Amino acid sequence: MTPKNNILIGIIIALLVVASYNVDANPIDFVEGLPNLVVVLDEMVQVEPKYIPTAIWAMFETIQMAFIGTVVGIAIALPLSMLAARNLNSKFVYAPIRAFLAAIRTFPSILWALLFVIMVGSGAFAGVLAIIMYTIGFIAKLQYEVIETIDSDPMDAVGSIGVSKVQLITYVVIPESASHLLSQMLYMFDYNIRQTSILGLVGAGGIGFYIINYIKFFEYGKAAIFMIVVLVTVLIIDWISVKIRDKYIIKSQHGMEVKTK
Amino acid sequence: MNQIQMSQNSSFSLISTKKIIQMSDVWTSYDSKNFALEGINLSIDRGTNYSIVGPSGSGKSTLLKLMNGMMIPSKGIIKIDYVTPQMNNKKFKKMMHTIGYIPQSLGLVKNISVIENILLGSLPRLTKVQSLFKKFPENEITEAKRIIKLVGLSGKEERKVYMLSGGEKRRVAIARALMQKPTILLADEIVSELDNVTAREIMELITDAQKTMNLTAIMVHHDMQLALEYANRVAVIKEGKKILEIGVEGDNIVDFQTGDMTTQEIMEMYSDDA
Ligand SMILES: Nc1ncnc2c1ncn2[C@@H]1O[C@H](COP(=O)(O)OP(=O)(O)OP(=O)(O)O)[C@@H](O)[C@H]1O
Ligand SMILES: [Mg+2]
Repeated sequence: MTPKNNILIGIIIALLVVASYNVDANPIDFVEGLPNLVVVLDEMVQVEPKYIPTAIWAMFETIQMAFIGTVVGIAIALPLSMLAARNLNSKFVYAPIRAFLAAIRTFPSILWALLFVIMVGSGAFAGVLAIIMYTIGFIAKLQYEVIETIDSDPMDAVGSIGVSKVQLITYVVIPESASHLLSQMLYMFDYNIRQTSILGLVGAGGIGFYIINYIKFFEYGKAAIFMIVVLVTVLIIDWISVKIRDKYIIKSQHGMEVKTK
Repeated sequence: MNQIQMSQNSSFSLISTKKIIQMSDVWTSYDSKNFALEGINLSIDRGTNYSIVGPSGSGKSTLLKLMNGMMIPSKGIIKIDYVTPQMNNKKFKKMMHTIGYIPQSLGLVKNISVIENILLGSLPRLTKVQSLFKKFPENEITEAKRIIKLVGLSGKEERKVYMLSGGEKRRVAIARALMQKPTILLADEIVSELDNVTAREIMELITDAQKTMNLTAIMVHHDMQLALEYANRVAVIKEGKKILEIGVEGDNIVDFQTGDMTTQEIMEMYSDDA
């Protein structure tokens, strides 16, 4: 380890201490608070099974919200990502689109939800709109990055036939990046289910609404049911996406690695 | 400009249909410092099987890219069928539809099938709606199948391109170019990485197509022997300059600077550069 690195580590530790002091992060408080957790956990294990159907129904609503948000978000993001890709457009096109997308990304989904609750009132619709906005900002960036890494070779070759840009996108860009785009879409759906689960915190629908209310009224046992349902759902979706990825995506990506040369 | 000068000692109409590619004192560079080509003069007759040979880095690929408008010269004049090759030139853009270009790395779309790759050559002939919905007309599909047979890929129509051998991939690239109903075929070292037998099969295929379709084929080669075997004309490029151009008719070789030469002499001249 060089002296330069030692100084760097020293600086990071110093910043950590100063920042912790500033935000009042005291490890002693954490230790002293642990018994409270035991109380919560104790109440949580006293689950009330009769709430399971409600929880599952709420989760189902959450999944539907995430699904609509993901599909609509992607449908809007895809054309935007084509316009934001540097290898397909001039600076005058991609620069403003990228700035727009960056602006959208500065808001986390919960803030979008808050904004839409104010706009359209509380409920699932506000949550769906929030997920759409978040998905656009997030997935468009992932996608234009994928598009920018595709092989320029088939683009040049097919481009030199004198085809239009739309043709180039439909016949070269999308097939060449399809497996990556698909894998990102799955990831986004997965991620959006987790996000939608907490949007209820600000009244934007979904299962989070129940969780936050039971916690507010110290009904940890009921909250626990809903949290377990979220956990199980996320695990199942995770497992399904891995299966889909293995079956369709890994296979075709393997093919992409075979060079023509 | 060239055709006007030439028309002075011959009939204008005859000359104007004969020359398909003309370059006059063409210079070009990728960066501001070094020239990849320095003062190239070329004149290629319609229907010629033209070869460009030269050592690595001499500017062969660059020369082809100038002919399909992917690069523009920093100095000098290029005319393809009397049109300046530039992507933003409307007249040339239309001409690109019938210039088949096979880059050194082939430029195939790897995740789609053989027939889908070949059909790309017909894209300029599709209507907007057909192209948007990937609905190729029946006659184009028939044509694609005919070409698949011609290049010897029967039975592999639905195979994904990444699963093909090197020789088969080259056949797909040729088929895509033929699907364009080309008047000019530009091929960059298409047989360089193949074994001798396959290389000759591919060369026969192109030469046959070139003769039956009255194509002008311009092919870059690494191997002088191969170029002499198939081409009517061979240009040798070295360090961005054309150092030799010869006409080939059977065993007779004509050097345009010094008169008749033997194959042996040409090979010796070339081996100095390799
Ligand atoms: N994209 C590029 N950017 C910068 N310089 C380049 C680029 N492509 C080629 N060059 C340079 O231009 C010169 C000519 O390259 P070119 O590719 O035309 O050679 P070549 O004769 O086709 O070589 P090879 O037989 O290896 O394919 C070389 O000096 C090369 O380094
Ligand atoms: Mg080359």
